[in-house]
Formats: sequence, C-alpha cells, structure tokens
Amino acid sequence: MREMIVSELNQALHELAKGFAHFLPRLIVMLILALVGWAIAYFVKVVLRSVLRLIKFDKLSENAGASQLLSKAALPSATEVLSRFVFWVAWLGVILLGVSVLGILGLQEQVAKFFLFLPRLFVAMFIMFFGLLAASFFSRAALLAAVNANVPSPRVLSLAVRSIIIVFVLSVVFEELGLAEQTMLVAFGIAFGALMLGLAIAFGMGGRDLARRFLEKKIVRDKKEENEDELSPL
Amino acid sequence: MPLNRTALWYKDAIIYQVHVRTFHDSNGDGIGDFQGLNGKLDYLQELGIDAIWLMPFFPSPLRDDGYDIADYNAVHPTYGTLDDFRKFLESAHERGIRVIIELVSNHTSDQHPWFQESRSSRDNPRRDWYVWSDTDTRYNGARIIFLDTEKSNWAWDPISKSFYWHRFFSHQPDLNYDNPAVREQMWEVMKFWLEMGVDAFRLDAVPYLVEREGTNCENLPETHEVLKELRRRLDESFPGRMLLAEANQWPADLRPYFGDGDEFHMAFHFPLMPRMFMGLKLEDRKPITEILHQTPEIPSSCQWSLFLRNHDELTLEMVTDVERDYMYDSYAESKMMRLNLGIRRRLAPLLANDRRRIELMNGMLMSLPGTPIIYYGDEIGMGDNINLGDRNGVRTPMQWSGETNGGFSTAPPERLYAPIIQDPVYGYQAVNVLRQKASEHSLINWMRTITGVRKSTGVFGRGSIEFLYPANHRILAFIRQLGNEAVLVVNNLSSSAQAVELDLRHYKGNILIEMFGKNIFPRVGDLPYLLTMGPYQFYWFRLRRI
Amino acid sequence: MAEESFLTDDFLRQLMNVGEVDILVGLPTHNNAKTVGSIVHTIQTGILRGFPRARAVIINADGGSRDGTPELVTGVSIDDARPASNLYALRTLHSISTKYANSSQPSNKVAFRTILAAAELLRAKACVVMSPESANVEPEWLSKLLGPIYHDDFDLVTPTYSRHKFEGLLITNLLYPMTRALYGVRIRETYSPEFGFSGRLGTQFLGQNIWTDATNGTGVELRFTLAAITGKFRICQSFLGEKIQIERRSADLVPALRQTVGALFSALEPDFPVWSVVAGSEPTLTNEADHGVLLEPLRINRKRLREMFSTGVAELESVFQSILSPATLAELQQIARLRDEDFRYPAELWVRTVYEFAASYQKSVISRDHIIQALAPLFRGKALTFLTENRNASAEEIENNIEGLCREFERLKPYLLQIWKSSE
Repeated sequence: MREMIVSELNQALHELAKGFAHFLPRLIVMLILALVGWAIAYFVKVVLRSVLRLIKFDKLSENAGASQLLSKAALPSATEVLSRFVFWVAWLGVILLGVSVLGILGLQEQVAKFFLFLPRLFVAMFIMFFGLLAASFFSRAALLAAVNANVPSPRVLSLAVRSIIIVFVLSVVFEELGLAEQTMLVAFGIAFGALMLGLAIAFGMGGRDLARRFLEKKIVRDKKEENEDELSPL
Repeated sequence: MPLNRTALWYKDAIIYQVHVRTFHDSNGDGIGDFQGLNGKLDYLQELGIDAIWLMPFFPSPLRDDGYDIADYNAVHPTYGTLDDFRKFLESAHERGIRVIIELVSNHTSDQHPWFQESRSSRDNPRRDWYVWSDTDTRYNGARIIFLDTEKSNWAWDPISKSFYWHRFFSHQPDLNYDNPAVREQMWEVMKFWLEMGVDAFRLDAVPYLVEREGTNCENLPETHEVLKELRRRLDESFPGRMLLAEANQWPADLRPYFGDGDEFHMAFHFPLMPRMFMGLKLEDRKPITEILHQTPEIPSSCQWSLFLRNHDELTLEMVTDVERDYMYDSYAESKMMRLNLGIRRRLAPLLANDRRRIELMNGMLMSLPGTPIIYYGDEIGMGDNINLGDRNGVRTPMQWSGETNGGFSTAPPERLYAPIIQDPVYGYQAVNVLRQKASEHSLINWMRTITGVRKSTGVFGRGSIEFLYPANHRILAFIRQLGNEAVLVVNNLSSSAQAVELDLRHYKGNILIEMFGKNIFPRVGDLPYLLTMGPYQFYWFRLRRI
Repeated sequence: MAEESFLTDDFLRQLMNVGEVDILVGLPTHNNAKTVGSIVHTIQTGILRGFPRARAVIINADGGSRDGTPELVTGVSIDDARPASNLYALRTLHSISTKYANSSQPSNKVAFRTILAAAELLRAKACVVMSPESANVEPEWLSKLLGPIYHDDFDLVTPTYSRHKFEGLLITNLLYPMTRALYGVRIRETYSPEFGFSGRLGTQFLGQNIWTDATNGTGVELRFTLAAITGKFRICQSFLGEKIQIERRSADLVPALRQTVGALFSALEPDFPVWSVVAGSEPTLTNEADHGVLLEPLRINRKRLREMFSTGVAELESVFQSILSPATLAELQQIARLRDEDFRYPAELWVRTVYEFAASYQKSVISRDHIIQALAPLFRGKALTFLTENRNASAEEIENNIEGLCREFERLKPYLLQIWKSSE
C-alpha cells in the first residue's frame, strides 16, 4: 500500500514537474516580456511627458478647468497624470499580449476585447478633455458678454452655457464608450429639453418687461435717452 | 515757285517772324537791311516758309524798336530804300513766299509830323488826330500796359500844355480813331503798301484803338467798327490779302475780332502759349486742354495764329496769379529775366537747351489748330542775352556761320546794332546755320523735316480737333480731321517714360502710320490702344483704313 | 511669393495713370454717401490752398459700399475731362477709388494696407489719412497734417483736438498714460481717424508682417503709431480743432477696447526690447498750443457706470482670479463694496490693474480676447472716478490730473517689468 501511494505521489510529482517544466519557459518568457514591457512603457511615458511639456499641455488643461479638478482630487498635474496613465496602459498592454501568447484560453478573448476597447477609451478621453476646454471658453465668453451688456444674472447665464456644453460632451463620451448608450441619449434629451424649457419660462416671466422695451426700441425707435447718457470713450 | 493762290492761303502757311535789322547786313554798317534779307530768301524757302512777317522797318526814332513810327510810307534809311523793299518783295513772291508787314495803328511816335503838328497848338487842324485832355483823370478804368516803365496812361505835353493819351510808352501818343480823318488816313497807308504788293498786315495793339469813359478802354464796339470798315475796303479792292490781329486777350474776348468773318482773318492765340510752357513744366496737359476748351469756335474763313516765342516777352498777362508765380519760379528764377508781366527769354534757353523739349514744343506748335509762326533764330536754337535792356535780349543778330559776327555783318563787332551772342553754349561758333546744315541731325534739318511733314497734309492747317482724355494726364492726345483724313497726335509732356491707353473706338479698324518714318503701327482693335513713350516724345499718326 | 495680391488690376491701372505724386490722401469709406462729397471737396480745397503746386491724388479705399460712395469720390476728380469743376487748380488732382479685394466686409486694416501700397507705388512724399466720419473737417487740416512732413521732414503727425473734458476717457485714462510711460513718447492721440505720415514710414510699416496675422486685425492705426515710435521716426502733433463725429459711438466700449488696448497689449511683446529700457518720457513737438477743453456740463449716467463696475467685479471673479494678483483683486473687491458717495478707484490701483492685465495678456492666461473684454467693467469704474474727481475742475486742473495719472504709470513701470519678466 505504501509503495502505491509513494509511486502515485511520485507520478503526480513527476507530472507536476513535467507540467511545470513545460510551463516554465513560458513563464520565463512572460517575465521577460513584462520586463521589456516595463522598459517600453517607461520610454513611452518619458517621451509623452516631454511632448506634453512642449505643447504646454498643463496650460491647456488649466484652461479646460481640468487642472482644478485634478488638484481637488489631490492628483498631480495633468501632464504627469496622463503620462502615468499611458505608462500603465502600455505596460498592461504588453503584459496582456504576453499572456495571450501563453495561450491560456478564455483570457485571449478578453485580451482582444481589451485592446479593441482601448482606442475608444482614448477617443472618449480626448472628447472629454476638449469638451471641458470648450465649455470653459464659451461659458467665460458668455459671462463677459453678459457683464458688459449689463444683462442681469450673468453668472447664471455662464453656468447655463457651461452646463449645456458639459452635458452634451458627457453624452457623446458615453456614447463613444458604449456605456448605456440609449439611456444616456434619452437622459440627455430630457435634461436638455427641460433646461431649455426652464430657461424659456424664466426669461419669459422675468424678462417680460425687458422684452417689451426691447421690441419697442427696435420698432418704435425714438427713445435714445440711454445712449445720450453715455460718453464716447475715444 | 509760284504763290499759293488759294483764297485761304494763310491757313496752310508757315510764317517766319523776323526783323530786317537782325537778319543780314549787306553794306557793312552793322545793321541788317533789305538787301541782306533778300539774299537770304533761299534759306527761308528751304526751311519751308510760306510767309515772312516783318517787324516795323519804317522811319522811327527807334525808342521802341520801330513800333514808334515817324513815317508810314517810307523805309528807315538804315534798312535801305523803298526800292530795296520792292525788290525784296518781288524776290519773295518768286519763291512762293508772301510778305506780312506791320501796321502800327494805335499810336505813332511823338516825332511823327502829325503829332508835331497836333501838339503845336490847340487850333491846329491835326489837333484832333490825337487824344488830348486838360486833366489826367479821364478813362481811369484803363490799365497800364508797360508797368515797368510807365506810371500813367496820360503824359503832360509842355508845348500845348495839356495831357495826351498813350497806352504804351509816353513817346507813343495814341491816335484818335473817333476822328474820320484818322481812319481815312490809315486806309491810305494800307493802300500804299497793298498796291506795292504786300500780302498782309499785322495790326498792332488793336484792342486799344478807341477809348470811352467808364470802360477799360479795350475791345470796345467802336473799335470793332473801325476794323470792320478797314476789312471791308480791303476785300473790295485787294481780295486775297490778309489781316492779322495782335490782341493780348482771353479767347472769349478775342472772338469778336473775327466778327462774322468780316473783321480779322487771323489773330494770335496769346493765352495758349504760356500754357504750353506751363503744361511742360507741370508735366500735365490740363492747362493746355482747358484753354483750348475755352477757346470759342471761329468763322470758317478765320484762323488762329500760334507761336512759341516772339520779339516780346513771354507774356503772362493772361494767366492767374498762381500760374504766373509758377511760371516765374520755373522759367525765370532771376528777376532780370522778368519784364512787365512776362519772361524775356528765347525758346532754347527757356527749355534749357534740351533738344527733346525743343522738338516737342515745335511738334505741338505744328500740330495744334492754327497757323504756326517761327521766330527767327529759334529754328537753330539761338540763345538770348538778358543783359541787354528791355526786350532786346531776344533780338540779337542772326547766327549764320562761325566767322566773325556770326556771318551777320562784315562791320567791326563793336558797330553791330547789338552784340552777337558769344557764350560757349549758344554763341555763334556753336550755334549757326552753316554748321547745322552740314550736320544731318541738327535742329535745323529736323525743322525742315517737320515743316515738310506738316505740309504733306491739309489736316493740320484746316482740320478740326478732338481731344482724347486718356487717364494718364501727362499725355496730350488729340485727333485732327479734315474730310476723310485723320491724324492722331500724341505728346508725352513728361520727363520720364510713360504708358498710355487711348480710347480709339471710333477709329477701329484703322492702321496707324507714323508720319515721320512712315512705318506701320498696329491696327486699332477693340481694346484701348496702348502706346509707350519715351521722355518728351511725340507721335503723329496718319489713320488709314485699307 | 505665392500670396495673392490684394491690389486689383483695375486699381493698378489707375495708379499707373496717376504716376508719381508728392501728396497722397487716403480715404477709407463704407456707405458714407451722405458725407463723402463734402469731405472730398474739403480735401481738394485744402490741397489746392496749402500745396497748389504739388502733384496730389485722393485714394478712396472702399469696403463695398452699396450707396454709390465710390462714384461720388471719382466724380469730382479735378482733371480736364471734367471742366465743370469749380475749384481752380494748376494741375490735375486725381480722385481714384478701389474696392479692396479679398474682403467681403469693411476692414480698417485692409483699407490702410491698400493706402500704404498706393503710397509706395506712387512714391508719395507726404501722405494723410482722412475719415469720412469726422463731421467738422476743415481745409486747413490738410496743411496741418501734411505741412510738417512736406516741409520739415517729419514722419508722423498725430492730431490733437479740443474735446469735452469727459470725452475720450479711454485715451486720457489708459492709452495716453500707458504709451507715454512705456514707450517714452508723449503722444496724446495714438489712435485717431486722421493723421499724416511720410512715405518712408509708410513703406517701412507696409513691410512688416502684421498684415497676414489674423489675430492682429484690429487696431492697425495704433500699431502704426507704435511702429513709428519704435522705429525712431520723427513725430509731432498738430492741433486740428474740435472732435465731432457724425455718429456718437457711445455703447461701443468693447470694440473700442479691442482696437486700442488690444492692439497695444499685443504690441508689447514684440516691442519689449524697446520699451523695457525706456525710462521717463519726452514731450512731443506740437504746433499751436492746445485750445483746451470744453467744460459745459454734460448729463451722464453715473449710476450705471457704478453698477457695471460693481457687477463686473462680482460676477467676473473667476476670470479675474486668472488675470489679477490676489492683492489687486482683493482691493478691487473692497472698493466695489464702498458706498456710492465714497466710491473711488485710486490711480495707483488702476495702474496696477492695467499692468497686470497687460502681463496676463502676454502670458495668454486665458483667451486674449476675453482678457480685453474683462477690462471693460473696470474701466467704467475708473471713468466714474475721473468724472467725480473732475466734476467742477477747470481745464488746467484736469490736465494736471491727467499728468498725475501719467506719472503714476511711469512710476509703476518697474512693477510691470517685474511681473512681465517672471514669465520669461
């Protein structure tokens, strides 16, 4: 009996060793890949960081208002964040490539899906970033225009513009990522519509007098008192 | 060569203005005479001259270069005898050259027997031949013409103790044309010369014949009456003879002197002349086209007389103050060059002896509507001597050759009536007829060519004029037309090269033939006709449709 | 150069026919049919009186008028094809017009460029730009603006006007003091509708590459004046008369800011080597003593100015945080809270405000156009202070106050240099 167990054990160990020996080269290959991958990813990170510094990416992101978000989240500067993100993605990518080479079934499919998803992720990030930039720019433009035209509640207007643009950008991003597309679209539609309706009612009710005076001026055209009280700056 | 016997011969003529005293001296007394002039008629014929206008050669104290006449029916002894004159007249006619003489009608010398008699006493029969007054305040609307020398139009006569009227120098009392005897006498004078064979008269100072209180005493209707009467008698007895008016007036005021073709045949276009010089200096045709635009139509038998220079100063009476100042600054920097209201310089010095400008000005003279007059010496580009008094600087001896006295006279140089020009640029050794004749490209040979070209067609003398107004204001362009013949004249008034586009739509299909070289230029098409011109260049193109 | 020429063939042909000139008058127009006829007549009279012998031309750069403005200009050209002109002239005085190509809307920049190009091609010695918007142009203005160039070899003649004491506050409170402090030259009107310049200066400016740069489109007149200063050209001023414009442009503060302050700020960067080493300022030769200011009382809506200032400071806080230093912003917020009677925008604070704006503009902390727009409410506050302080002041007192403000700008110049350099 003891011999049987020992021989079985021996065989099992043998099998294990054989399997392990079979597996080992691949593991070593994978480890080597991981190392190489790390080197590549690091290299990419450094290059990207230089490029971003060159195009003053930090400034751009400051304009976008992204920097404020990052600092609030206690994260380092945008350049740094993006560089590190790309580093991890690159390394992970190489590792996954290695894993797929190892031939572990099931995992290959997931890896493929991951790689397919990657471009869309980048596009979505791109849209998000520039969307934020645009929102910041246009909301500020609206703010300045409103202040200089002496329109009441300029900040509300500015916020409204920013909100609209951000909502729009978000919906596009979600669509791009393929996350709850339909839901997002409908939600956006409702939100946007509601916002517009709300604004219309608010302006309609509150700006009734203003609208009347405006129309009077345009059509009747004889009240020039306001302008006469103004000086010409040049 | 026989005389051109057409009735309107003066329209086709080229006139040469000369003083017999300046041209050639035959007897060695230092003063030109008729025999000398006679000897030079071949020269004038070669030049293409059709008529000679002689400055006054009558007996005179010569205090106004002969315009102060002491005897209307004789020849001043220094110039010869009446016989000499007759011979000269005959010779001229033989060569097809007509003779125009002066009739100084407005005034005489105070040495004239008529005036001597008139002033002798108030009862003298010839008293009323002149204009007398006890005061010098009458006719105070009249301007003074010789501003540099005279202070008033009245002069005091110590003999008859009254004032006499003189529009010019005080030694030139005005005749009284309200007196029929004066008018009759003037006709007698004319008849005297006409019977001898003289072809035409230049009537000097005609605007001033008659005075009336309350007017400016110029161009009065009564004056025109006198003139019309003379013309009528002329036409009656001597058809084919011509009367030329000297009236320094605006074109509109000149028009009446043509009447309805029943007064003067010709008149000098005074206002055009300074504007030609002005246009050249401004490099802008505006002064020229404007004055011609303001020039009224004249009867078909009448003709304007054009000139560049003459024996007088280049007059600036008929220009505005701004224009006059500009002309002074441009052409007469030295005050010595200015006289009365004008500039006393010859053509060549005025144009800085620039051959191109001299040619351009002569080209305009020969192509603008009117009969051109060449002032003696300008055909060789003679210079002037502004140090001689009054206007004598432009009346120096003619320069025939490089020998002593320029070949004008055999007398010792000190005896010449005026010193001959001697400076290195214009002096007789550099500028003379002999030398220029021998040189193919001399000015005189060029003048001969251009008179020939002008006479090759009747368009210049008799044709109409239509100005083109190209946008480039430095180009003066016009079309002369007579019947089917048309000539395009283009002048570049600028000292730099120019490009010009001419609107020749009416002449589409015509080939341009340049008249000096007779080469063909492109045909007129739909597009504006582009010409490029060198500095001061001009073109005459015959427009030919084949 | 592959760049398409902005001069049309037709205009070139017209220039060819005009030929060399001594004097060139540039007249940019857009739908000015009501006034252009009399302006051209005045120009012609001025030229004929002041420069009767000069070869001259009037160049009309038109921005696509639809009311027949160009025809009104060319129709009164003085030449022999139109003998009915009632102005006596020694020579032809062309009046030509061109619609500047490649532009679908009126642009001061393209008009000016056209005029400069014509001046160079025609080798004009002395040039002047006139405006169809000025209501009281006199023939003497031509002599005043051209004379120093034509006779005395100056390169730029800027006008001075007699104005109401409260008009042109942007000039007296910002443009004049700032250009004076930075560039060291005391030019009162650096941005004016009419001015004279020499052919030399025109050619040099034409050669600079600001023409193709789209962002520097506005305010080319101001850049011109600055170019004259930095190029060490000879500049003088000439008193013209009252400044009366046909349309009172009161509500146009932001466009005015763009054309003047925007141009000034954008010039500071390339001109840094020049203005960074200048200290103090030199007076500019002026002919005719200034005829002073008009003092009649004017009804002005001060409350609105106060409101717009306070609203601006409050609502634009986020924008100002990017532009101003915290200290300056805090001070602004403080004065915004003052009661109406106590309200005062101190000179020193104003200067610091302007300088910080200039530095932020250079660094482009946010969109440059937004920076300019943000200045508007602050300017209104300063204007209000000016009105209050000078309510009953005499002409001399006002001038002293302006002089005081100028000195403040000059005194704080090192501050600008400090915050400017910090970005290098």
